[in-house]
Amino acid sequence: MRSEYSIQLVNMRKLGDSCSILTFSCPEIAAEGKPGQFVNLSCSRFLKRPFGIMSTDKDNGTFSIGVRKVGKGTADILSSKEGDMFTVLGPLGNGFSFDGVKKLLLIGGGTGIFPIYHAAEYARESGIPVTVVNGYRCKNDAFLYEEFDNVSDHLFVSTDAGDLGIKGNVMACLEDLDDSLLSDATCFVVGPGIMMQKVSEWAEQKGITCYVSLEQRMACGIGACLVCVCKIKTEKEGKEFTHKRCCKDGPVFLSKEVIW
Amino acid sequence: MSLSVKIGNVKLKNPIILASGTCGFGRELAEYMDLSKLGALSSKGLTLLPRDGNQGVRVAETPSGMLNCVGLQNPGVDAFLATELDYMVDSGAGVVVNVAGHSDEDYIEMVKKLDPYKEKIDALELNFSCPNVKEGCMVIGSSPKAIESLVSRLRKLTSLPLWVKLTPNVTSISDTAKGAEAGGADAIVAINTMLGMAIDIRTRRPILHNNTGGLSGPCVKPVALRMVHEIYDAVKIPVIGCGGISSYEDVLEFMIAGASAVELGTISLVHPERPVKIVTDLEEYVKQNNIEKLASLTGTLQMWR
Repeated sequence: MRSEYSIQLVNMRKLGDSCSILTFSCPEIAAEGKPGQFVNLSCSRFLKRPFGIMSTDKDNGTFSIGVRKVGKGTADILSSKEGDMFTVLGPLGNGFSFDGVKKLLLIGGGTGIFPIYHAAEYARESGIPVTVVNGYRCKNDAFLYEEFDNVSDHLFVSTDAGDLGIKGNVMACLEDLDDSLLSDATCFVVGPGIMMQKVSEWAEQKGITCYVSLEQRMACGIGACLVCVCKIKTEKEGKEFTHKRCCKDGPVFLSKEVIW
Repeated sequence: MSLSVKIGNVKLKNPIILASGTCGFGRELAEYMDLSKLGALSSKGLTLLPRDGNQGVRVAETPSGMLNCVGLQNPGVDAFLATELDYMVDSGAGVVVNVAGHSDEDYIEMVKKLDPYKEKIDALELNFSCPNVKEGCMVIGSSPKAIESLVSRLRKLTSLPLWVKLTPNVTSISDTAKGAEAGGADAIVAINTMLGMAIDIRTRRPILHNNTGGLSGPCVKPVALRMVHEIYDAVKIPVIGCGGISSYEDVLEFMIAGASAVELGTISLVHPERPVKIVTDLEEYVKQNNIEKLASLTGTLQMWR
């Protein structure tokens, strides 16, 4: 039987004006959380808020998430202090599958870089070669640069402002990538919808298997309420799409099955 | 000491029922609770044919609650009978099947399909109250005459208990409840969600892509409680209370107001173990207060003059 856990915030690392990494004590999620999975975390509002897991530390029984201020719920969470208590459901969702993955191309944007970090860390531990491509707004926004450098074989960065890495978005980086990094690679993408869509189209052209982690407004996070559905292509006769639950059937989907 | 309740001829081990649309067919919440501890669970609203539901954003948070516009996404009554009914039966909770139609004929067809399974089903819940579909449901449920006429047609088709789930989006819920009673309903379930709206001030568009949605959660509890009491006074058939129930104290309030049982839903979406916790709390409550039968609380409200 699964449980809602009561957990304590044990560390808060400020990354910027409106973004922090929060670490919670929770041995269960630390033990079970896989890259691409998420937690549904309480805030002072009515519903919980979903966050992709950024890392787990089995030895210390902790897990971390990256939080950026979006609305009132995330603002409340960001104004917390170490020692504050929360309730959480998790780990939730399917997560990324590393079965048969020979080489990884990880692409992150916005808060998508946090779950991408988890995937990079896991791949590194599993001996899978990792290339990371992260898109940021500007140099000041380029969180976790060193951490990513430590867990990847190749790290490429794009910034809209052009003050770090390649000027432009992640597509500019991808078009420059050496073919040797692409052959036999599997691609995981987490970021804004438009970015994931563009990367999916690129991956399809290149013949690269690509998975995306979709985002939707959620309520329960466990598949009961059906509010967070996304449109997924179906084989069923006469139908163009089926509504799959982002929280339970996803959030990770094969990109070519997604209707954007 | 007993928590068991009777709703007409339907006996449940306790008054806690999971509300339709918040528990699917039980599979997801079964990961968090022992469903057999519950009085019953009410299935996701079924339609004659499978439905994808509404597209785009389907949820908006509100103070102490939420709006949804799922729009009756469900596999259809045939798939339900093939793959979900037995799961619900095996869960050990009572089985309530919620049916929603676009027209009178839809309800008739569904009741005909469900009647042969009456050994497995405790009650049919007629959803005349979904605010998120354009036809049937709330349109029927807004007219006492339309309710009476349809319930009486369905009454002739099955001996299964017929519970009518009412919408609060009417001028007088006691009138719609009377319509259901006159048609031969066995119980009233009140209330379904209240029609509401949320707006994104940046885009000046409704947050919900259906523009409006059904409000649920603790914010609707006072309205639901008042309506349950009004219905209890207006009809002789049992009332099942529903709306924002989140604790055993809420359950007691609804029972005192006149409910024979209660449904809870939105709270399971935030705290999936809560329904079973409420059952445990009720057990403790009857012990502490030396109440022989919890059911004896129903309708014990003493109004101020």
